[in-house]
Amino acid sequence: MYVAVKGGEKAIANAHRWMADRRRGERDQRELEVSQIQQQLGLAVDRVMAEASLYDPELAALALKQASGDTVEAVFLLRAYRTTLPRLAETLPVDTGAMRIERRISATFKDVPGGQVLGPTYDYTHRLLDFMLLAGEEAETTTAAPQGAEEGLEACPQILDCLNHEGLIEQEQDDGSEPYDITRDPPDFPVDRATRLQMLARGDEGYLLALGYSTQRGYGRNHPFAGEIRQGAVEVEIEVEGFDEPVCVGEIAMSECQMINQFAGSGDTAPQFTRGYGLAFGRNERKTMAMALVDRALRAEELGEPIQSPAQQAEFVLAHADSVEASGFVSHLKLPHYVDFQSELELIRRLRREHAERTAATAEAVSDTQGAGTRPAPGEGDSTRSEKAQTANAQAKNVQENVR
Amino acid sequence: MNMTQQISEAVRPHDWPGLADPVHDSQRLFRQLLGAMSEPGTLTELALPALPAGAAISPAAWGALLALCDLDTRVWVDQGLARANLAAALAFHTGARLTDDPALADFALVTPDTLSREDGFALGSDAWPDRSTTLIVMVEALAQGEDWWLSGPGVPGRRGLALGSAERALPLMRVLAANRGRFPRGLDAFISSGMRLTAIARSTRLAGPGLAATDDAERQEESA
Amino acid sequence: MNTASNAQGVGAGAPTNAIDSGYNFAYLDEQTKRMIRRALLKAVAIPGYQVPFGGREMPMPYGWGTGGMQLTASVLGADDTLKVIDQGADDTTNAVSIRAFFERVAGVETTTATAQASVIQTRHRIPEKTLRADQILIFQVPIPEPLRFIEPSEEETRVMHALEEYGVMHVKLYEDIAHHGHIATTYAYPVKVDGRYVMDPSPIPKFDNPKLHMSEALMLFGAGREKRLYAIPPHTRVESLDFEDHPFEIQAWDEPCAICGATDSYLDEVIIDDQGARMFVCSDTDYCNSRSEEKA
Repeated sequence: MYVAVKGGEKAIANAHRWMADRRRGERDQRELEVSQIQQQLGLAVDRVMAEASLYDPELAALALKQASGDTVEAVFLLRAYRTTLPRLAETLPVDTGAMRIERRISATFKDVPGGQVLGPTYDYTHRLLDFMLLAGEEAETTTAAPQGAEEGLEACPQILDCLNHEGLIEQEQDDGSEPYDITRDPPDFPVDRATRLQMLARGDEGYLLALGYSTQRGYGRNHPFAGEIRQGAVEVEIEVEGFDEPVCVGEIAMSECQMINQFAGSGDTAPQFTRGYGLAFGRNERKTMAMALVDRALRAEELGEPIQSPAQQAEFVLAHADSVEASGFVSHLKLPHYVDFQSELELIRRLRREHAERTAATAEAVSDTQGAGTRPAPGEGDSTRSEKAQTANAQAKNVQENVR
Repeated sequence: MNMTQQISEAVRPHDWPGLADPVHDSQRLFRQLLGAMSEPGTLTELALPALPAGAAISPAAWGALLALCDLDTRVWVDQGLARANLAAALAFHTGARLTDDPALADFALVTPDTLSREDGFALGSDAWPDRSTTLIVMVEALAQGEDWWLSGPGVPGRRGLALGSAERALPLMRVLAANRGRFPRGLDAFISSGMRLTAIARSTRLAGPGLAATDDAERQEESA
Repeated sequence: MNTASNAQGVGAGAPTNAIDSGYNFAYLDEQTKRMIRRALLKAVAIPGYQVPFGGREMPMPYGWGTGGMQLTASVLGADDTLKVIDQGADDTTNAVSIRAFFERVAGVETTTATAQASVIQTRHRIPEKTLRADQILIFQVPIPEPLRFIEPSEEETRVMHALEEYGVMHVKLYEDIAHHGHIATTYAYPVKVDGRYVMDPSPIPKFDNPKLHMSEALMLFGAGREKRLYAIPPHTRVESLDFEDHPFEIQAWDEPCAICGATDSYLDEVIIDDQGARMFVCSDTDYCNSRSEEKA
């Protein structure tokens, strides 16, 4: 029995074999290829890349395969792999204004320079299960190539820049300081906005979605408008010694959301719109919208708004956003804790024993006094306890003063 | 230009010894440094090849730098110690950047005399005491002795050190003795001579000629 | 003194028996190790202070010992002998898993014998056998902040440590006494290190707290998810917080270990049938085994 609570190497090895077997499923099914996941489950791949902070669609697809489709587990796999990669160079900031646009919409203007581009989206699909897919027959729409899919669209200006000309929206200024890097140094709260955005960018989508949603329902309401949402490809550049111009090392897919929020103003500054910002690898529109809402909510202190709601509390929001940290710590409850539990058992038995002795003593006292025809005043026990607590507090205060 | 300087100019960065096996050598050196800082006043010998002629720092100090420095660290060097192309050698072997501002230094290469002139090293703050400069000090000699008495964490009872002339070591010991009054802010020091090295942490209580006895040190004496 | 021509020890053919050559020795890259090593030096210089460090994702989940593992990886050398325990036992699944990890990525010798280990990584216990000066004990820490359950904000607790404002901790412990008649903290029992920092000794039972005081061995603590590490150097005063009228006391059992007969070790309660019958055995499996072997 004693041995049975211990696992040991054999049990672990067998658990791994069993899991691999489950992952593979029935052997008469063809094995899923990583390239199929990469091509046909692209949104899952993009989410894994975004939350793992590593842009590698093939490895993200591999992680999804290895994790049996468990996104959080796949993020963890890719994040752990990321740890082992050397840092070869630092890229220049990507210019989302120069993005080769695939999708670009604004809810704040009917038409915008460069036009509204719907791009690939589920937005206006009717959410009806497509039984053709179940039958393994591709729907008609996939046989004809969509317009614009090949060439991609020209770069077009950021819509919020148009508001800039009138000074209607706050300007984002680059103060030139080197941003903090959350992948190399732990955040020290309170953190600046650049750090916060990094933490949100790798935050769990479901968590950000819930928090962003809560601001819309009044817990830190800030009247958002989707100023611009864009998806497409941006160039990644680095500076190389011996070259005057930055060198492009590749192109990555990104999603960006700029929320326009209700204005703030004070005696010194004229009222103007404020922004919330969201950015993520790949096609992660929902994530970037939620991120922009939460970013704006977390600017409450900076903008002089009252901090009253969960989404506005920076340390609370940011310290719990990372799914790798969160799932690790929740799952660690599965590890043995019997040593600490033993400590608690020992204490609770002692407390119960003492409680029983006290009860017995009181009962005796009651039966003794009942003979004399008197009963203890109701609530007597309570008053002793509160007296005790008062003494305790007084003593604790003394201690506190001694410590100071 | 004297002879020593001529030699110095001619020293190339790769004339300074690197670690033949960076992974395992730096681990071994680190364990010695960790042991030294954990038990202040104990002596350890860092085995390292000879430094180039004209070098003004000790092999032990060089070993500490090789083990601890990289692209993320900034080093302040006393000009008197920056001989034999030390700065270039440090950049070549570790990637560490030099700084002129002692307040920005993660490590500072100094002599006791430096500390009577320069007091701008980072002490950290009460909230972030770890954001401080670690001194790497060259002394003329280093041995067990009875000039300076150490007590506190890492020291059972007390431990005695001699650093050559007590008078010349005094500016260093004054700076380190001042740590008690400002704890947790303070400076930690690796102290070296040749290949020998010891450490004095900011938690260490110090007693010796020319140092004011602190209440804390007295209490330690009593309990020892 | 300066006999500098001797290159002994440097590059002298270190054993490189790491099995998984796809990764660096002990998994972490050298720059990460150096960052952790620099932080460790600060930690021993400021006993009990939680040094922030750039904790990395490890291939094990956060909460499963990633902090302890990063410290072990930074400290471990090819000639070390590693022991890993969880709940005091070498054969609990997570201990087995972590030990196998370092066998794989560092190729180091491992042992279950406390006396033979030079580095011991532990979760929730300190071995019963007194540790020596040439040993390092590395604790896995889930929540490094002893004030966290009184004050959830990191911003606030940082100020409290800076100002040495620990009164709230005493108030909390005293409220326990008022409510239960005892201090109800039985593990992760807070200590004061060298008269300055209040520190969480990790969730070891308070039975183990006295072993922290004036230990011969260096004690290192790593919290991976919270990205903090801290240390207790050897020969350092470590006092468990208490009150004059309620002094600190450790757990005691009415019976000895059912296997080895020890009366001085921490005992686990094992339920042996469905009627609730119990037996008590040492949680430190090496201690129990070596005592049993001596007797045999």
